[in-house]
Amino acid sequence: MRTVDRAIQELPFDLPPPTECRLIVDTAASGAWNMAVDEVLWQWAGETGRCAWRLYGWSEPTLSLGYFQPYADRARHPSSMACPIVRRPSGGAAIVHDRELTYSLALPATHPLAAQRAILYKLVAFALIDALAEFGIRASLVTRSDQPQLDPQPFLCFQRRAPGDVIVGTLKVAGSAQRRSRQAVLQHGCVLLGRSAAAPEITGLESIAPTPIDPLLLQTQWLENLSRRLGFQWQPERLSEPERSRAVTLAAAKYESPAWTVRRGRNVPPAHTPPDCFDYAEDN
Amino acid sequence: MNPEQLLYSQTHEWVYVETDPSGAKIAVVGITAYALEVLTELVYLELPEVGRLVEAGKPFGEVESVKAVSDLYSPVDGQVVASNQSLCAHLDQLAQDPYGDGWLVKIRLADDSRLANLMNYEAYQRQCQKES
Repeated sequence: MRTVDRAIQELPFDLPPPTECRLIVDTAASGAWNMAVDEVLWQWAGETGRCAWRLYGWSEPTLSLGYFQPYADRARHPSSMACPIVRRPSGGAAIVHDRELTYSLALPATHPLAAQRAILYKLVAFALIDALAEFGIRASLVTRSDQPQLDPQPFLCFQRRAPGDVIVGTLKVAGSAQRRSRQAVLQHGCVLLGRSAAAPEITGLESIAPTPIDPLLLQTQWLENLSRRLGFQWQPERLSEPERSRAVTLAAAKYESPAWTVRRGRNVPPAHTPPDCFDYAEDN
Repeated sequence: MNPEQLLYSQTHEWVYVETDPSGAKIAVVGITAYALEVLTELVYLELPEVGRLVEAGKPFGEVESVKAVSDLYSPVDGQVVASNQSLCAHLDQLAQDPYGDGWLVKIRLADDSRLANLMNYEAYQRQCQKES
């Protein structure tokens, strides 16, 4: 039995029964649109009791801020100052979205995984780790942090480490964040495929892969593994017209609004600086 | 506060009802130790300002733990009369004393009918066991 399979088997949780999951493969779009659609699907999951997995991209390199991250902090990162910016509904730190696979998962609160936040991160991550192994990449899951806290914290998410992150050696290649309501959970994240000119300090899989990775093949393998790990039965669908309409309104009213993007975010330093670096015990 | 004497919402807020000098009923609201254990390490907290009107079942604030932002839900209808803003810079206080110094807000009840929807300690313990 592979180590990853054993790790899954050792999770204190029965894997969920087969569940129909809407699979949406979107084209590249703006940050505001992407966050609006994620929120629409998050709401939809709570309203319908159904699940949705979405894959999407970015029409240009875009900086996303975490929900509480101060807007003024972007001045710490000159490389991305020219990028359009969007604030996520989820926490964590800034990400320059460029050469990556981006996903979101919307689960209703009634789904058995919805309350299991750490297990949800792990299952999505393990599915990716398995997929990377098919490309000769030995990735691992960050499970705990035991390094001294840095002050200030690095601006970029991919310079930080948190449980649930996927790493290859010391390189973080995938990270995710959640936003939770009483009705549903939204988890979204990205897999770094390559370096962006807007974040030259962050490399991606292309720097460590033994052979070039076809993103579509990686995506396909990941989906196959997700189906097995999370019990999802994929139902390819597009956004409905009412959903598109809601996303248009939400993008304009919220995610393009300075009230959300600029003035949202804390004005005081965090009460506690979370652990920055990492150690890990679960590999494949 | 003695947890066994509190009321609880399904979203893991606790409530203690007291009476102010004018005779108005005030709900002291916090989040439970179970919720804090699930959240793990807290990073940020946002609480409403005094004067804000809140509704039962609707968010009144947010908390970010490692990797997740979660809504805080009001268990009652009313108006915020006190907000423990000092917690935002001292989240360890919340984790160390969730039923005492870690209170989040105090809400003047618009009416107390919503209290009937809350659970007692035993029912809340059963919910936690079911979730875990």
